[in-house]
Amino acid sequence: MIFRAVEDADLIRQAARGAVEAYNLLVSRWEKRVYNYLLRITANREDALDLTQDVFLKAYQNLKKLDDPARFAPWLYRIAHNEAYSMFRKRRPETDVDELEPEATDTGILVGGSSVFPMELGLAVARALERLSPDQREAVVLKIYQGFKFEEMAEILSCPVSTVKSRLYTALELLKTELAPIKSRGVS
Amino acid sequence: MSCSPFDLRDYLLKELSDGECRQVDAHVRGCAACREDLERLHLTEAALFSLRDEEIPQRIAFVSDKIFEPSPWRRAWAAFWGSGARLGFASAAMLSIALIVFSLARTAGTPGLERASGPATARVAASGASVSEEQIQQRVQAAVDQAVAASETRLQKVFDQRMNDLQRRDQALLLSMASDLNFAERQEMAVIRSDYTLPRANRGDLK
Repeated sequence: MIFRAVEDADLIRQAARGAVEAYNLLVSRWEKRVYNYLLRITANREDALDLTQDVFLKAYQNLKKLDDPARFAPWLYRIAHNEAYSMFRKRRPETDVDELEPEATDTGILVGGSSVFPMELGLAVARALERLSPDQREAVVLKIYQGFKFEEMAEILSCPVSTVKSRLYTALELLKTELAPIKSRGVS
Repeated sequence: MSCSPFDLRDYLLKELSDGECRQVDAHVRGCAACREDLERLHLTEAALFSLRDEEIPQRIAFVSDKIFEPSPWRRAWAAFWGSGARLGFASAAMLSIALIVFSLARTAGTPGLERASGPATARVAASGASVSEEQIQQRVQAAVDQAVAASETRLQKVFDQRMNDLQRRDQALLLSMASDLNFAERQEMAVIRSDYTLPRANRGDLK
């Protein structure tokens, strides 16, 4: 893990000097994670892909402004968060950002491919996540699926750590109420 | 409500230190409620992990084309102009221009400078004013004289022409009267000399 971080830092320094190949290697390491983060907060594959491309283009253009290469991940996700919410605002400018909901999809993007769990559980998880507010859902995605620390989440979301914890704890309680009984029945 | 020494959600989310985790482990072993709560949290997390990450549908890559890359000079200029120095440079330039314009305007129209040169300047200005006034008067007088002469000449020409026309008309009238008088005299003489008879048509043969 430490070795990987050093490698990323080297790639970032090279890319900041204009080495496009180094940046492409960096993109190949992070594109899947960024795409899935955006997919879970936008609930739309096309939007997630477009936003992912925009995020990496903007990151390349602003790479010199990144003071500490070790902070690349929260810096990159901060760009992704801003791009996603900028898209939400453009599409529904009259709506408050806190009230924005991802677009509903027919198939439900949250139902993954080769899950070891029954399809019923996958649908239940998708429904439970959809019931969360966008802020709560994003907090769950950043913590559970992306593995960020509270401080990093606060940096990405541009809010205090206490706010991050509040959103996440509320979301976990709601998810526990929805999913734990179903899970216990499904597994047993 | 959990009675655990630390928040079970922080324990689940791996936000506790090793020592804190050991305390929670010890507490959960002896507390059924917290054990059940923690188990539900683990089940919730396991359910969430049932959703796998998707592969990105299209790989992202950037290309470098030397044709579209700016020259070193343009990169340096863009770096300078895009930096924070832009505002400072623009402000300094505007201030310099303002100072130069102000100093030039003050040099050209300073009232104190006229006061410093004083009487000499005033004398020069006064003499210059009298000379120019005389010249103006002379030019005006000359122009008036020229115009009057031209007008008189033109009127004289018109008068002479009119007089000539009148003289010619009088002569023509006299000649005409003279010729008319001669013709009348000749007709009268002709009537006297011949036997006067009416023309044949006037003698009643009309019908």
